[in-house]
Amino acid sequence: MASTQHVLLSPAELAYLHEALSLTPPIRPDGRAPMQFRPLVAETEILPGTNGSARICFADGTEAIVGVKAEVERTRGYHGDEQEEGGEEEEEGGEERREGEREGQGEWVELTVEIPGYRDDDAGTAFLAAMLSEALLADGRFAKKLWISRRFHWKLFLDILLISPPLSYPLPLLSLTTHLALLSTRLPRLKSEGDEDPFFDDDWAAAPYLYPQGTTTTRPPITLLVMAVGRNIIFDPSKEELAVADVVLAVSVGEAATNSASTKGKGKAIGGMDIDSAAAQPGRSLRLLSVRTVDPPSRVTPPGMPNATNSAYGVAVSVQKQPEARTVEAQAVEGVWKAPRGGAKPAVMAALVQKVLERGGVADEVLDALEAVELG
Amino acid sequence: MADRRRVNGPVGATIPPVFEDEEVQTQETQRVTRSRAPNGIRKMYLKTGVTPSASGSAYLEIETSGKDGVSGLKLSCTVHGPRSLPRSSPFSPHIILSTHVKFAPFATKQRRGYLRDPSERDLGTHLEAALRGAIIADRWPKSGVDIIISIIEGDQDRETSGAQGDDTWDMMNALSGCITVASAALADAGIDCVDTVAGGVAALVKDGGETGTARIVIDPISSEHESIEAACCIAYLPTRDEITNLWFKGDMPDHDMGIYSELVQQGIQASKLANRVLVESLGETVK
Repeated sequence: MASTQHVLLSPAELAYLHEALSLTPPIRPDGRAPMQFRPLVAETEILPGTNGSARICFADGTEAIVGVKAEVERTRGYHGDEQEEGGEEEEEGGEERREGEREGQGEWVELTVEIPGYRDDDAGTAFLAAMLSEALLADGRFAKKLWISRRFHWKLFLDILLISPPLSYPLPLLSLTTHLALLSTRLPRLKSEGDEDPFFDDDWAAAPYLYPQGTTTTRPPITLLVMAVGRNIIFDPSKEELAVADVVLAVSVGEAATNSASTKGKGKAIGGMDIDSAAAQPGRSLRLLSVRTVDPPSRVTPPGMPNATNSAYGVAVSVQKQPEARTVEAQAVEGVWKAPRGGAKPAVMAALVQKVLERGGVADEVLDALEAVELG
Repeated sequence: MADRRRVNGPVGATIPPVFEDEEVQTQETQRVTRSRAPNGIRKMYLKTGVTPSASGSAYLEIETSGKDGVSGLKLSCTVHGPRSLPRSSPFSPHIILSTHVKFAPFATKQRRGYLRDPSERDLGTHLEAALRGAIIADRWPKSGVDIIISIIEGDQDRETSGAQGDDTWDMMNALSGCITVASAALADAGIDCVDTVAGGVAALVKDGGETGTARIVIDPISSEHESIEAACCIAYLPTRDEITNLWFKGDMPDHDMGIYSELVQQGIQASKLANRVLVESLGETVK
């Protein structure tokens, strides 16, 4: 699995790292502040054959590209559809009603992740793909954007490629790249109306963005990796830091729409008010979309042995049968690394999630940075 | 990814036919609603030592919600090991866990193939995270253990063939069952754990149409509710008061963090209830 890849650190190094990270403030091996993200280079629309694409390169040398491709697909009919259609035909509610009855399905989005050196059916890769698509589909609004007519929809293929070896757990990188690729995604403009067979404008310049530009409507979610060591919360951990983590969470957040889809048609008063109230507080308001624990690789790190039980230091060891069993039961000695056992306290997990959702926090900073990337 | 060694069923998905009868018009009103208390889980049956050839095994069945055609969850888990790693593998100071969750082809409405699909692999990863926290892994260096779970019957409503999107919520129920049954099988195999870990699910559900208010229930069945807004599955160690795996999914504005923590609390509660069944069942085996 990608998160539990072996880190070549000795127990002594692990103990030192753990201690450094549990200090207040923590001292990270690369000198970052606990809430600081790695610097990154981003560009969009790099692949001409796709509907949208992006590339992000982190300072540690990991790099990912994402291509989004769309196809028109016939929507499968289900039982009970006919009845509903009858009812709709009678009420001519106009455009607003149409908006309401649009329904998206999770299977309209197909997301694949490829990581060099790992099989595509590797559990870790499947976990990454599931986490990213789960965040995307969590609010149900994304799939609605792919609705064309009652009989047709767009099928979106998101192909995520890590093109460097996985030097650190690639989740934040892949998530940010996917975010940018989706922002730059454009779908051809629909010319046909109603339930006709779909017919599109062949002028690519007229193609609208999947996520309309310059509005305060929703943007794709981002997934952040956050970990706790002792009482410290550390964002965007590197591989070495993950090796001593007590608990690692992947938290997906989205931007809360200030004027959501339901209030779109109903005058500007509501939208304006919302913006005012949001402006009163610094930072944007966020939505929590999904949380997953990532199995911390610290659980499979080799334990150290205290001098008191180490025969190399002249301790007479009488029972030689199972030396490992003895060291395990020994009390924790300061400065001797021991892989953590058990889980994390509920309060610690709650604090991690709270920290991610904090107004003006890291998620805000990352979203701001991604907003500054120019499209096209 | 087609499996060419076996005779597979048709490639396309088949939907079982649903015949109209006179009740069809009133189906909406006859929807089964939750009759249990919001803080109660369904009855479950747990037995360990069902597979003699494995070093540990367990079988879990969760009752149906009382409606015909609704199947409960049926899980069987076998644990093989601890056994030595193959010679070719590198040294490991800890036991190496490998988890394998598979839906039987007939377990759900949509037929599952023989090869594991990504959602099943994902369940396996969640299960691994939940169990790795519970096992005292450093007592078995250089060894491995395989945990294999087959979901014989998924927790799905056969009548609502048109119902969609409930699969994702059913996965959480399946995972919580997997965690509980795997924990029982590990205990049966005699693998040292810090505590018995059990899974629990809590969900924020909405009933009563547009005007209905959302409430939190534990052990939700998606067919019993109009919509599920958010859900969370928790693997919890009661004596240590620690969570080994947390999986939350939903859409929650940041000013509703109270609801999120309440959801986690209720998930812990569900897990504690499941743990009582687990402990009782293990106690019976010891006698």
